[in-house]
Amino acid sequence: MKADRRWTPYLLVAPAFLLFAFVVLIPAVLNTALSVMDWSGTNQMTFVGLDNFFRAFRDDIYLMAYRNTFVYIGLTLILEVLAGLILAGLVTMRGRRTAFYRIAFFVPVMLPMVVIAVLWAFVYSDDIGLINSGLRAIGLDEWAPVWLGDPSTALIAVSVVSGWIYAGFYMAIFYAALQRIPTHIVEAATLDGASQWRIFFSIRVPMIRPIIEIAVLLCVTGAFQSFDLFYVMTNGGPDHATEIITTYLVEVVFRFHNLGYGAALATIMTVVVLALGFVFTRIRARAGGAGLEY
Amino acid sequence: MSTERTRTERTRRRLAPRTAAVIYHVVMVTASLFFVVPLIWMVASSFKTKREIFESPFAPPTSFDLTVWTSAWERGDLGVYALNSVLTTVVSVAGILVFGLLAAYAFSRFRFRLSRWLLLPFVLGLLLPVQSYITAQSRWLDAFYLLDTRWALILPYIGLGLSLAVFLLKGYLDTLPRELFEAARIDGAGDFRMLVQLVLPLMRPGLATVATFSILSCWNEFLLAMLYIQDEDLRTIPIGLLAFTGKYSTDYPTLFAALSIITIPMIGIYVIFHRQVISGITEGSVH
Repeated sequence: MKADRRWTPYLLVAPAFLLFAFVVLIPAVLNTALSVMDWSGTNQMTFVGLDNFFRAFRDDIYLMAYRNTFVYIGLTLILEVLAGLILAGLVTMRGRRTAFYRIAFFVPVMLPMVVIAVLWAFVYSDDIGLINSGLRAIGLDEWAPVWLGDPSTALIAVSVVSGWIYAGFYMAIFYAALQRIPTHIVEAATLDGASQWRIFFSIRVPMIRPIIEIAVLLCVTGAFQSFDLFYVMTNGGPDHATEIITTYLVEVVFRFHNLGYGAALATIMTVVVLALGFVFTRIRARAGGAGLEY
Repeated sequence: MSTERTRTERTRRRLAPRTAAVIYHVVMVTASLFFVVPLIWMVASSFKTKREIFESPFAPPTSFDLTVWTSAWERGDLGVYALNSVLTTVVSVAGILVFGLLAAYAFSRFRFRLSRWLLLPFVLGLLLPVQSYITAQSRWLDAFYLLDTRWALILPYIGLGLSLAVFLLKGYLDTLPRELFEAARIDGAGDFRMLVQLVLPLMRPGLATVATFSILSCWNEFLLAMLYIQDEDLRTIPIGLLAFTGKYSTDYPTLFAALSIITIPMIGIYVIFHRQVISGITEGSVH
């Protein structure tokens, strides 16, 4: 449709576009420019070419951060996506009267991550924590590590909290998709004598496969960007055992004031996330705009 | 004999589903407890003494004295943080909705020359992580003396929310039938009148989804709030709570009270509007 006046559409787009340019586009471009500079934020900015990038690939902590991020991604795929799928399967198994469970599973999703991080730091606490008190109460004292203080358990402990938050989120997504499967298909399988178990894995899961693929990519791209939980619960420690890309980035920029290097780290991360994002949109296009209705 | 057998068979057949139902609900309640117990423990601990928290972590509180809550509210300046969060969220979400709707209306309804090029950045913004530009953004905002003001959060929150708002609202608008607009045009409605009288009422569900998602994102946002606000009087809830945790790190009852004060109203709102909240978050994430 043509507008009444030629400039109307531009006028309508202007506030959003200008604001978006001011806070996102220009900083994104500046950030890329910063990544080839050496700058502390106060001293003279000097051009260093690709040095920051070479340095990144030799930076042990940065490489460790990638390793940790990948471990975290693996764990969250199980604790968030797979757990969410199982919960969705359980919720759809018996038709009605599951609203209570669905509401309960989803509670953590809407709470501030910082509140959850503080709360779970207490849950894991050795003095007053629910978990270690519980373990001691049933006589398993030796099994009660200092969850967040021990390099061998810290990453898993944070991942469990991540699962606690997001399992319900993926459950909701899968539940919405499962609801859209025509009932006659499941009824036909039931008449053929298929068990609930069989129906779930041979009919329901394959039918919501596009949504599962979206969930996997959402989980992966989300994991790259997660920050709050790690920052509050461990801040990368102990001994960088939970250092992830974002916590390291914030430390480099806002504690060590190494803006050029930080910008380069961010640029590398952006390339990785955008690459994953394009895969995401391709899959999404294949899924054929499967909208969600809860 | 034969009647006996059929009777047992019948009872077994009747019993089996019931046992299955019991097992099912036991499993489901256990799963629910995993999600709810930490929250119950948090609220219960706020009513206990420090000693009770240490010695009997699983016991229910012996009294429900709300003075810990009121003292946590006052000592922690939670009122100030809550007010800051409300202000920041309201202004940001209003900006996201108004600017987002205007832009989405233009992108969806009008054909104009730069349409594709102006839309592209918003789509890219959907994929771009905040961390990819915070380094430059912090200096950029500083250059305009915006750091340590409310705008240091409001402007980026609007910018972050706009991508999704433009994208989702355009999607909803695209599904509205053309004839509707053509008829309004024939009736002599101008661009602006069409927006107010036709689009606005029809877009209510879409706007509600964007609003829900944006409210929660702004309310819970942590990274920018931590980096861009140093002034204690401007802190939002997530940062305020973290400062509070640092200050009263061993005063467990007060800490649990503060956590409860922040969490319980949110859970209350969630339980009432759970449909809206769940669909808002899921649709906002899986765009």
